[in-house]
Amino acid sequence: MTNMQLKTSFSIALIISAIALVSWELYWRSQGYEPTLDDNKHLWAVERAKVDELLADDVVITGSSRVLFDIQLDEFEKLTGKRPIQLASAGSSPLPIFHDLVEHTDFDGTIIVGVTPALFFSTTFPQASPWQRPQTRVDHFHQRTYANRVNHWLSIPLQKNLVMMSGHEEDADENIDLKGLLNRIKLTERTGKPQYPPFFEFGTIDLDRNVRMTARTVEDTAFANVIKNAWKFILTRGGPSPDVEGTTNFFVADAKKFTERGGNLILVRPPSSGMFKDGESKFFPREKLYDELVRKTGAKSYHYEDYEELKNMICPEWSHLSAEDADIFTRVIAREMIKDKALKKTN
Amino acid sequence: MLFNSLSFIIFLVIVLILYYSKIFNWTNQKRMLLLASYLFYAMWNPPLVILLWISTIVDYTAGKKLAVLENQRQRKFWLLLSLFVNLGFLAFFKYGDFLLENFVMGLNAIGMDFKAQPMDIILPMGISFYTFQTMSYTIDMYKRKIEPARTFLDFALYVTFFPQLVAGPIVRAKELITQFYEEKKATTEQFLWGTFLLTIGLFQKIVLADTLLAGTSDDVFGSGSILHGLDAWTGTLAFSGQIFFDFAGYSTCAIGIALMLGIILPDNFRYPYAAIGFSDLWRRWHISLSTWLRDYLYIPLGGNRHGITRMYAALMITMLLGGLWHGAAWTFVIWGALHGIYLVAERLLRNRIHIKITTWNGILVALLTYFCVNVTWVFFRAREFSTAWNMLGSMFGLNEGEKILQTFDILKVFTVILILFICHWLMRNTSMKAVALKTSPVVLGVVWAVLFVLICIAQGSGEQFIYFQF
Repeated sequence: MTNMQLKTSFSIALIISAIALVSWELYWRSQGYEPTLDDNKHLWAVERAKVDELLADDVVITGSSRVLFDIQLDEFEKLTGKRPIQLASAGSSPLPIFHDLVEHTDFDGTIIVGVTPALFFSTTFPQASPWQRPQTRVDHFHQRTYANRVNHWLSIPLQKNLVMMSGHEEDADENIDLKGLLNRIKLTERTGKPQYPPFFEFGTIDLDRNVRMTARTVEDTAFANVIKNAWKFILTRGGPSPDVEGTTNFFVADAKKFTERGGNLILVRPPSSGMFKDGESKFFPREKLYDELVRKTGAKSYHYEDYEELKNMICPEWSHLSAEDADIFTRVIAREMIKDKALKKTN
Repeated sequence: MLFNSLSFIIFLVIVLILYYSKIFNWTNQKRMLLLASYLFYAMWNPPLVILLWISTIVDYTAGKKLAVLENQRQRKFWLLLSLFVNLGFLAFFKYGDFLLENFVMGLNAIGMDFKAQPMDIILPMGISFYTFQTMSYTIDMYKRKIEPARTFLDFALYVTFFPQLVAGPIVRAKELITQFYEEKKATTEQFLWGTFLLTIGLFQKIVLADTLLAGTSDDVFGSGSILHGLDAWTGTLAFSGQIFFDFAGYSTCAIGIALMLGIILPDNFRYPYAAIGFSDLWRRWHISLSTWLRDYLYIPLGGNRHGITRMYAALMITMLLGGLWHGAAWTFVIWGALHGIYLVAERLLRNRIHIKITTWNGILVALLTYFCVNVTWVFFRAREFSTAWNMLGSMFGLNEGEKILQTFDILKVFTVILILFICHWLMRNTSMKAVALKTSPVVLGVVWAVLFVLICIAQGSGEQFIYFQF
């Protein structure tokens, strides 16, 4: 092995690697990419772990992406004095996470559940995407190893500082890892099935999972239209009918168990607009679904249509509020909650 | 802890600093390695380190007794105790649910209405590897083939040495324990070659297995549909590449990391997809397991010493149990059975047909071998028999199935597999070290850089190695 001159090879490898990786990072930055945290199962699990330490006057939020974007933790904390734990999960039914909170914690404080009708009333089938996505996070939390925790902790500075290390857990069209780049290559289509249109992240997330819509989504209508196209595809491609009865019964049973142990349940319905609003009004009428859910659970309810400041809000991509509007939305519902004494106080 | 994780990089750097600093003498360095190995394992599930301790204590004690006892009954007792503890762990933790499930099925089959709650036992990572490794020690001690470990520390480190603890290579005592007797330091060349092997192993795992092949394999085997033949073949070929790169990648990492510490581990893979026939395949695939099964199962069952029928029976039993070693499911048993049938058929044919292997017919036989291996991979990968039958039906043109893969995915998999086969064929009579010796240091440096950069760009989400579950 002495003839191998590995020192030379190693030095060459080191120099080329350093040059290549720096160039790679600079190239993607020049393309407008910025380092971002990934809203992955590890980040979610860190927040979920905090629930075990909460007191009765603490607040937990769960739901789908609307409540993730629309309730701003800073604003909520300013008004209520409590910084909620954000456990909402994009593209998810809130039921699996709420079920986990009810079944696997003793938490008896306040849980705010965001209701996005198409996801809330979608399914209780474990293999269906709106159920499987949040359940994967719940399962990861219960099964995560110490190695998982350390890896996540070590990955944070890399995600925050390097574009090339800030990929997303799920396949997204802006992913610049090798897999993401290969996924962009499209040759002839052979499956005969409609292909999912391009989809990009339109929010940024903090370490405590506070999500804010990017300025680009608000200012660049072409970009917002790309997201709208993706929503349009989801809304028009068809799929299984919502399981209103099954989901309602499932949630009501968990809500009963939670409130019986002293928990405080609040339902929040964030705004939508455009095609989403039209579809929701038609297929998920408030009176039959949301109001019935409120009645059956006996939960306190905050529906955006009930407030003058909120009912005409426009979502730039039809489903989520801009950062500024999310601040307003949060202030209004927090103000109303305080007015109604809806949040639990211990003393 | 996974080799392909950030925590492992930090862990390895700290271990290497402590190992090469002058603050410890050799005994304390071994203690440090042992503690590091326990930490490496405990980062996954701390309480299960207790199993390692029990295995270590029982087998060390058994080895000591076997070294001094002359009474055959007493010697047999200590051997059986060791086998009972190790196989007991395997039976309970790995096969508990499987045994219960089959027991219930058996009762139901004879008309008894019986139901049992699944035990949901957690499978300790790498249990099949370390139990086989420690059992080889007591069996060799019983047969007086080896000397007992000089100290408990040497033996504990042999059982727990972190580079090969959870997925092999399964190392024999005489190959590893003796290396712990004297101070070991890697030479600069060894250290750098170990680093190169670690890079190769991570490249195989992160880039080739996880990035290029795993997605297609998962899509195909998880589709739940009856697939078009091309899709079924693509998925199966993708899995054949994925499992090779995943497992060979782990072994290469393990060998490289050990070498960075000055410890030499044996090869576990020698370009198996260029195997000419199945005997050749098993001399090239998971060598440490196949030699273990040969020495501790096939030969004790009679091997080729008691006539042809007994030899074939021994071969079939060995391969069936080899299949079951991989997982507690009947699909793994079928995988083993197919390999057993292949080996028996090959021996039968070899007695009747004599062909001189040349380059061209060698390639054809290697391709035929690889084709047959792919049929077995279907049972290995499919979670249910229905999936396996549907896949095979599609692969052999019996199904008009659904197309689920895009053209690029198919092209990607076939390209990777073609390159894999060509590389294996070109490398089948040589080694990476021999090739590296002939390569200019500049070219080797460029290749090294390309591999490293691709690992970084692939990022890798810390996917677990497939063989951890075995």
